[in-house]
Amino acid sequence: MCTPAAGRVRLNVGGRVFETTADTLASAGRDTMLGAMLDASWNVPATTSEYFIDRDPACFAVLLDLLRTGGLHLPPHVPEAALCREALYYGLLDRVRAARWADLDGDRLRLAASVPGRAPGDGAAVRAAPDGGCCVAHGAAVRVYNWMLQERRPVHLAHKPVNDAAYLDAATLLVATRDSSGGGVAAFSALTGDLRHRYLLTHDRQPRPFTPGALAFDNHHSTIFASCKGRLNEYGVAAWDAATGEQADFFYEPPACALGDADALQWLHGTGTLMAATMFPRADSSFVTLLDFRCRTVAWSWSDVGTPASLEDKHAVHAVAMEDGWSVCVVNQYDDLGFLDLRSNARGVRWRSGSKLTGRKKVCAEETCYPKLATHGGQLFASTTTGAISVFSGPDHALTSTLRASDGGVVCDLSIGGDRLFALHNEENVFDVWETPPLPII
Amino acid sequence: MSSQKKRPARIEPFRHKVETDPKFFEKSWKKLHDAIREIYNHNASGLSFEELYRTAYNMVLYKHGPALYENLIQTMTEHLQEMRRSIEAAQGGLFLEELQRKWDDHNKALQMIRDVLMYMDRTYIPSSKKTAVFDLGLELWRDTIVRSAKIHGRLLDTLLDLIHSERMGDVINRSLMRSTTKMLMDLGSSVYQDDFERPFLEVSASFYSGESQQFIECCACGEYLKKAQRRLDEEAERVSQYMDAKTDEKITAVVVKETLTNHMQRLFLMENSGLVSMLVEDKYEDLTMMYNLFRRVPDGHSTIKSIMTSHVKETGKSLVTDPERMKDPVDFVQRLLNEKDKYDNIISTSFANDKGFQNALNSSFEYFINLNNRSPEFISLYVDDKLRKGMKDANEEDVETVLDKVMMLFRYLQEKDLFEKYYKQHLAKRLLSGRAASDDSERSMLVKLKTECGYQFTSKLEGMFTDLKTSQDTTQGFYAANPSDTGDAPLISVQILTTGSWPTQPCSTCNLPPEVLAVSEKFRAYYLGTHNGRRLTWQTNMGSADIKVTFGNGSKHELNVSTYQMCVLMLFNTADCLTYRDIEQATAIPPVDLKRCLQSLALVKGKNVLRKEPMSRDISADDSFYVNDKFTSKLFKVKIGTVAVQKESEPEKMETRHRVEEDRKPQIEAAIVRIMKARRVLDHNSIVTEVTKQLQPRFLPNPVVIKKRIESLIEREFLERDKVDRKMYRYLA
Repeated sequence: MCTPAAGRVRLNVGGRVFETTADTLASAGRDTMLGAMLDASWNVPATTSEYFIDRDPACFAVLLDLLRTGGLHLPPHVPEAALCREALYYGLLDRVRAARWADLDGDRLRLAASVPGRAPGDGAAVRAAPDGGCCVAHGAAVRVYNWMLQERRPVHLAHKPVNDAAYLDAATLLVATRDSSGGGVAAFSALTGDLRHRYLLTHDRQPRPFTPGALAFDNHHSTIFASCKGRLNEYGVAAWDAATGEQADFFYEPPACALGDADALQWLHGTGTLMAATMFPRADSSFVTLLDFRCRTVAWSWSDVGTPASLEDKHAVHAVAMEDGWSVCVVNQYDDLGFLDLRSNARGVRWRSGSKLTGRKKVCAEETCYPKLATHGGQLFASTTTGAISVFSGPDHALTSTLRASDGGVVCDLSIGGDRLFALHNEENVFDVWETPPLPII
Repeated sequence: MSSQKKRPARIEPFRHKVETDPKFFEKSWKKLHDAIREIYNHNASGLSFEELYRTAYNMVLYKHGPALYENLIQTMTEHLQEMRRSIEAAQGGLFLEELQRKWDDHNKALQMIRDVLMYMDRTYIPSSKKTAVFDLGLELWRDTIVRSAKIHGRLLDTLLDLIHSERMGDVINRSLMRSTTKMLMDLGSSVYQDDFERPFLEVSASFYSGESQQFIECCACGEYLKKAQRRLDEEAERVSQYMDAKTDEKITAVVVKETLTNHMQRLFLMENSGLVSMLVEDKYEDLTMMYNLFRRVPDGHSTIKSIMTSHVKETGKSLVTDPERMKDPVDFVQRLLNEKDKYDNIISTSFANDKGFQNALNSSFEYFINLNNRSPEFISLYVDDKLRKGMKDANEEDVETVLDKVMMLFRYLQEKDLFEKYYKQHLAKRLLSGRAASDDSERSMLVKLKTECGYQFTSKLEGMFTDLKTSQDTTQGFYAANPSDTGDAPLISVQILTTGSWPTQPCSTCNLPPEVLAVSEKFRAYYLGTHNGRRLTWQTNMGSADIKVTFGNGSKHELNVSTYQMCVLMLFNTADCLTYRDIEQATAIPPVDLKRCLQSLALVKGKNVLRKEPMSRDISADDSFYVNDKFTSKLFKVKIGTVAVQKESEPEKMETRHRVEEDRKPQIEAAIVRIMKARRVLDHNSIVTEVTKQLQPRFLPNPVVIKKRIESLIEREFLERDKVDRKMYRYLA
């Protein structure tokens, strides 16, 4: 038997011999099993022998191919779960995930999965995790899925109804709950479902019960924000330090801004402000406020109080701050898009006449799912009253794609994260996962 | 089976009973435990990575993660304790080396252990929120070794002792120091800071506080600064060699505080070597060092600045108020310029052209130059001096630089209008006596003044130049029209001065000699014939004449005299002896001027063309004058100067000042009206501030004068007081 040429490595995986180069294996990184095995600190086997690995060869072939080409090709006889298990053994799971789908592009989305829910009642909210997993708030519990869409242990805070959930990081899930005696905000391990921390609120150094509404973070995920309603009119937005879990600030609700009831909070990185949106029908009118915590002032605000009600009684029902940092997009119950300019105060919504997503139809009284908005990479995503999702692109937000999938009824919430789009449907409690496939090679 | 529905057939996944091997954990752990021992014993060559990895993987897979983790901590601690004993046993200088060796061993082992337990790191540790294996190894090292009772203090003492001996000049093993501090940094920045940096800074502070106390007792300021600089450099070098870069800033702060900040006042005020004597002696090098060192001290620069400012103000004040210096205006200004040059040099060479210092210097000059109210006059005289004779030997570039420097002084003047007055007078004298050496330099000075103060300031001065040019043309025209028929008639050259442009004195005419009178009448007729509606007045006090004289002893000379002197001398064509009274009657020259011109004709040695009886200095009405027949001179051409007062005499000074005050009145009034027209209603203090601001470029108006002007304007109904608030003024359109 001749000695392998320099840089060549012979591997015997579960009886099947692979030959590759040290460079290919090293490209996996020093902190993977293969990288460590070839490291000089470990004994290199005698020149005549080969590295033996007691694992499944079929999966290894797929993973070696991944290391060689960067692409993931799964033969039909290799089950995906087995591949993931093997990838975890070698420490290559992150690479597998990265090869599965590309950066999110609203115009190249494909339906990756439709995951049926089992919980009774309607799903309230879906939240994407930074690694491609997600969680769905169902009544009194939050069901957690990893990026392979395998369900983990559900999270619940004494089985109280959930108002909002948010991923602080891939392993930490925050949950805001309500009940008659006041709700709470708590951090859970997304992996095990264990309670990690309960966030407390004090006013004048007295701990007070409160009911949190929406959750948000600043761009470094170092501060946690929650809109809060207290018993004694302590309405406003609370801020906790993410590292210590201690209360950092409380922004009391100024007059004519419904902060405590806010149903959406969003951090605006460019200006360092927090957008709080309180929308119809939770409030009688819609409010959008930008809070500056550094000087504790309201940097900008808008509300439709006093706007003469048009014939159709249009109300902004959801708002999202655009990534350019100077406009907020709102949508009304008839799927009309409108824009607010953050650079000037006291100007109304610029409704887009051409943005009508559907022919106007009578909205059923019992159907309470209003359109929702999300943005990513300059694109705007809007769920519609017909159950589809519209994608708008470009500076003028032209309608470029419409996503329509499982027959679960109207989309009641959508969320983008980890380069995936999650859409929760109202009726069948099913959620759809949309992702962008890798570009074809040729 | 409480469900009412029929359970559908369902395939249960096959369940292993995990009872396969009850000793599974013990066996597996023994394998790992032995491997860890071999790794620590440098005997890892017999180990199979794949087997160990798989073993650890299986242990985690079968839920033995927590036990594996606990056992790992225990085993690693045991190995570290063994290491600790061997480090503790190391004697003296070997201590650090042993510590270093063990640290390297531990690191290497830790890397391999982490490789084996990689799967646990990836799965069990994140979900249980435990410390990752590598960090765990560092923490155990920290707690078992670095912070153990016997090593903790010894390590710190060893390091600090080594640093101390290096400060005292010994050579130490720097690479060992580097690797030791690196170890502390690897253990986390808090370990480095708590266990080394903070005590290091404390020890350094006390070291430098002692050393600086010792130095300041025996060293001069410059020497002390040199030592401080060397210490700072040493510490910076030390940090770069074997400490964390972040320590640099902190240790520098300590050294600066102990050696500089704490002794700042004492250093600056040191007698014979402190800041003032450095300034006096132009010690550029020491000053540079001081500037650079005290950059780091809060308000170090501002203290230097204030000491320099007060020193400059003091010396400047004594210079401008010294009555000795007042005698020679040129020297006075030259000294100011020298002083300015000296400090400009210091600031440019030693203080890095610091704007703050330049401003401080400017304000000190502004302060003391204006202490002497004759400064404007003196500066103008200095320029006069330079423009008059400087030209002959100096080239234009030199004059240009001198003028630039003078402009610098000019900028400091508050009473620029006063300077203008004097400058006009001196310029007029230069131009009329034809002693302005270079037209280019004169004009360049004008341009400088124009850029500094604007068109208005120089328009009249420029008018003077234009007048001279046209006068030349006119005289030529006159002679072209009246060709000089006889050789005997005197030639005249007339300067026609526009009224207002020139500093005219009240016209004091005199009786011209008939020869001259005839020519001048001819000229008047010619001039008025060519120009309509003009008036021509003779300013006899400003002219000059060249006359040819034949003395009694036969010697011939050409005399250059003033018009007045010419008038006097011409009288002696017809008489041998004249009394003062005779002369006064014949010429009608004002007595003051006449006396002065007689003095210069009779009493100046070497130029005494007249003889006076009696030979006293003062001239009385009955003194008689003769032509000095014994007059001799080496030169054919003799210039008879007037006993000129270059500097103004006391009454003249008062008069000039008075005139300036008068001229300021309309300017102040104009400013007030301008402001009130724009603002309509304004209170007194604001008016004063605004007026001062507007007139600043020309002079600094006195608030009392402003008040008087306001009152005068109220009288003339330009303004009125507000009926409700008496402090407010209202503009009446």
